[in-house]
Amino acid sequence: MGKINTVNVSKKYTFKESLYLVAIIQGMMITLKRFFEGFVLHKKFTIMYPEERRDYSQRFRGEHFISIDNNKTENCTACFLCETVCPAECIHIVADEREDDQNLYGVKKEKKPLSFDIDALRCCFCGMCEEACPKDAIKLSRNYEMSVLKRDDAIYDLDHLKREVKGLKGRG
Amino acid sequence: MDQIMWIALFLKIAVVLACCMGSVPFLVWFERRGSAWIQGRVGPNRVGPFGLLQSLADVLKFFFKEDFAPKNASRIYYYLAPMIALIAPLGALTMIPFGSYVEVAGQVINLQIAEVNAGVLFILAFAGLEVYPIILAGWASNNKYSVFGALRGSSQIVSYEISMGLALVSMLLAYGTLDLHSMVEWQSSAAGMWGCVMNPIGALIFWICTFAETNRLPFDLPEGEAEIVAGFHVEYGSMKFALFFLAEYVAMIMASALLATVFFGGYSLLPGFSHLVGWVSSAQGWPLQNVKAFFEFASLFLKVAFFMFVFVWVRWTLPRFRFDQLMDLGWKILFPLAMLNLGYMVALVTYLARSH
Amino acid sequence: MKTELNYQSYKKPVIDTPPATPEAKPTPKITIDGVVIPFQAGDTIMQAAERANAAAEIPRFCYHPGLPIAGTCRMCTVEVEKMPKLMTSCSTPAADGMIVHTQSPKVRKSRTGVMEFLLANHPLDCPVCDKAGECELQDYNFEYGPSTSRFVEEKRVWDDATTKKLSDKVTLNMNRCVHCERCVRFTDEVTKTNDLVMKNRGYKKELSATDEERGLWNDYQGCLTDFCPVGALTFNDFRFHKRVWFLDKKKSICDQCSKGCNIEVHSDQNVVERLMPVFNESVNGHWMCDEGRVSYHTAMNPLRIVSPLLKSKGASKDAALVSTTWEFLFQQLNVVIKSSKKILFIIGTDASCEEAEQVKNWSSKLAGSSVVYFNGVNGVQTSKDDGKLDHLLRMKDKTSNTRGVEALGIQPINPNQVSDADLVIYLRAGRAQLPIEFSSSAPWLLWGVWNLEEVKSVQQKLNVVGLIPGLMTMEKDGSYVNESQLKQTVTTTIQTTGHCLTVNKVIEGLWIK
Repeated sequence: MGKINTVNVSKKYTFKESLYLVAIIQGMMITLKRFFEGFVLHKKFTIMYPEERRDYSQRFRGEHFISIDNNKTENCTACFLCETVCPAECIHIVADEREDDQNLYGVKKEKKPLSFDIDALRCCFCGMCEEACPKDAIKLSRNYEMSVLKRDDAIYDLDHLKREVKGLKGRG
Repeated sequence: MDQIMWIALFLKIAVVLACCMGSVPFLVWFERRGSAWIQGRVGPNRVGPFGLLQSLADVLKFFFKEDFAPKNASRIYYYLAPMIALIAPLGALTMIPFGSYVEVAGQVINLQIAEVNAGVLFILAFAGLEVYPIILAGWASNNKYSVFGALRGSSQIVSYEISMGLALVSMLLAYGTLDLHSMVEWQSSAAGMWGCVMNPIGALIFWICTFAETNRLPFDLPEGEAEIVAGFHVEYGSMKFALFFLAEYVAMIMASALLATVFFGGYSLLPGFSHLVGWVSSAQGWPLQNVKAFFEFASLFLKVAFFMFVFVWVRWTLPRFRFDQLMDLGWKILFPLAMLNLGYMVALVTYLARSH
Repeated sequence: MKTELNYQSYKKPVIDTPPATPEAKPTPKITIDGVVIPFQAGDTIMQAAERANAAAEIPRFCYHPGLPIAGTCRMCTVEVEKMPKLMTSCSTPAADGMIVHTQSPKVRKSRTGVMEFLLANHPLDCPVCDKAGECELQDYNFEYGPSTSRFVEEKRVWDDATTKKLSDKVTLNMNRCVHCERCVRFTDEVTKTNDLVMKNRGYKKELSATDEERGLWNDYQGCLTDFCPVGALTFNDFRFHKRVWFLDKKKSICDQCSKGCNIEVHSDQNVVERLMPVFNESVNGHWMCDEGRVSYHTAMNPLRIVSPLLKSKGASKDAALVSTTWEFLFQQLNVVIKSSKKILFIIGTDASCEEAEQVKNWSSKLAGSSVVYFNGVNGVQTSKDDGKLDHLLRMKDKTSNTRGVEALGIQPINPNQVSDADLVIYLRAGRAQLPIEFSSSAPWLLWGVWNLEEVKSVQQKLNVVGLIPGLMTMEKDGSYVNESQLKQTVTTTIQTTGHCLTVNKVIEGLWIK
């Protein structure tokens, strides 16, 4: 066993400090001041949420959606890049052959997501899926009100993700 | 004759109960709103004007919550604990004189529910009961956290009861009586003075001990949310929890009233009130003594209100003690200080007696 | 010296090359990127570099070690000193004293140029393409390609060949094709079916089935998708099922015939997604047949029985088997085995050597019991019935270990033995024939890999009293003897689903308990 050198860094209290009462009274004066500030001047930092809303950044990352083209077909081609990059492993895709759709150039989009589930409870909203997406299909909207009544509702399926999202200035 | 006394007794009980139980919702509201003001928040502001009905909503919620008991709890003690918790401070409250006397139909009615001449002992006895609900609740819940809370609570209350008792004894020496009425009379008499002026250290010790006795921050170790969930009442829900909640505030009121009575002149009129009494009495033509009794009651009420404010104020200022710090303060500082103070009081009383 | 076509490597002579006599001629040497490498006479520069594994990989599209050399893609060009132009390393024979640079600026510039040409018409659909992740075009473009394209014209699009089913196994996306013609050479030279062809020329050069009505008909279509350097040819069985970077790759052996092709099991979270051939000179070369390629469906079959089944006592012959616990199964069967006087063990020839040996040892300790083997697939009873189905890999014997079981001294089944026995235990790993040709009133115990339909059809003929789920080849360790008496060992590649136990665990449970 080696000898361990320890250094006592605690400082000795002066008499005034060791009484504590002075410090206590000082502290109580501070809270008293704050009390009157709140009571008389109504000073507050609270945002009265449902009536008042905080202005979030344009780059805020909220509820996910998948962009759609003019035919209301999802832009997603089930490339699995988002599933690959997702650090929370919350995206689950099942891919399938797309039979029907034609894009602008008359070239068949070969592949489509048969199902596209995002487990919003696992998601950490890092936005990496958005970064990875080569088709700009998956995006994060600015909606942060995502409460659900059932756990199942927090797993977003393709129908939910394909909804139209408006007011995305500076995104996409 | 007796009938009037009986009616007066019930009226007194009604007034005291109404004042003390009726103020609890307001106190709860004030605690939450006050803490919000101190912390730059808003606090409850949705239910009723200024959120005043929030407590009512809480009570409603408590009533409609499921009343369940843990499977392995000791049923009798488990249900007994919240009852004792409320009964003990209410019982002690009966001793507190809230005015000198009123004259109704030629009858002199003392404004004190139980006119016991050994009132202080009675109060100490009831205050001592306050340790029971904590132990019973903690043990009967059959929960490790609640047992921790109970152990902490019991050791804390027992420790601080000694200092509190010594501080009280020092004042008993000065007053030479156990009757709270006489104490207030002594303090308001021309020769007397407020107990805190005569014995400031004793007053401070007593004040600190009231915090510990009522388990308020910075002495709320029995509850210690951050460490032991909710301490001794972790297994209590619905109205049983509400009883504990109520008991805490009633105990605060009782402690404040006792503190006011013993050290701060009790129901003796606040400065300036004596003029008010004369003015109101002559202006309205009401009997002087009754008006005076009303203002005495108002004085005590204001004093208690101030101490209640301090309770809230301290709670949102000071953090909780660590358990060893708590014991250090109780045994190594307050207890010797209370002993020394007792010696000082003995000397003072002896000196005063000689000089007279 | 054999003269038949070597399907392992086109250039290299077949297995028994006459050993080079060192004193006859000193070994020729070539210098590649400053490293002196000895090589065999007849090697090209690329082969010399590959064998020595010395230089960085020379990129290639048209070259494949198992195919004839074409030298069309110009990706593998290297700089050879004293030669005025860049040489294609795949087709330039190595010569003694040659000094080759594979990474010189000139070479890299040339490769960048090639890449730019290839990418001019290659669609940017890697997200959709199944090849992405194992795509040679991707890899080489990452290494050599230009980071921007100067091609501003419209890309070439094949309207009718964007997703074209060449057969029910292979899909063609002509947009992605880089015209390396590996596939065409494969069908010409390896399978000799000539069922793929390049039609038209230049800009319109298009891959097509020779007979478009018939499509592809060779039995090695999966190989086309393996060596296609881009995602032009994709295998339908795997298409869009999984991205390749998710796959765990572990080596194993195909158990679908007595050839024992070396394969790689690609799985993700214990679900096998596909099988791919692994080069083994003495077994399968680079190839594997389609039948073996989709054989993982036996293991992944949702109808496969993966928990022990038992018929309740006193139930009729046709009564359904009921799922039970191992403890109860062992307890019940223990009684049955102890009370049986003449137990017949039938080992399916798809069981591994170790399993067959364990059953044989067990049988030798049970008085009155005997062990036989049973194959029965394609009418094959013993290894003498085995034979090639084509000039490549496919064998008549569709079980993997007939020779291994024979080597243990186990005799083929005799129908009389079945009617004699008072308990028949049949161990099989999913390939050996169902025992429906036998008639027996004795209770049968099925053991190994079975699916529900198989059990039902067996139950119509025989009195099945229980089923002991066992492991597939890819789920266990074991060794198999192939048609050329080569013993190959496999290790576990995926964990079994369900409650299947190894054979020794079952024997332990049935016998000792």
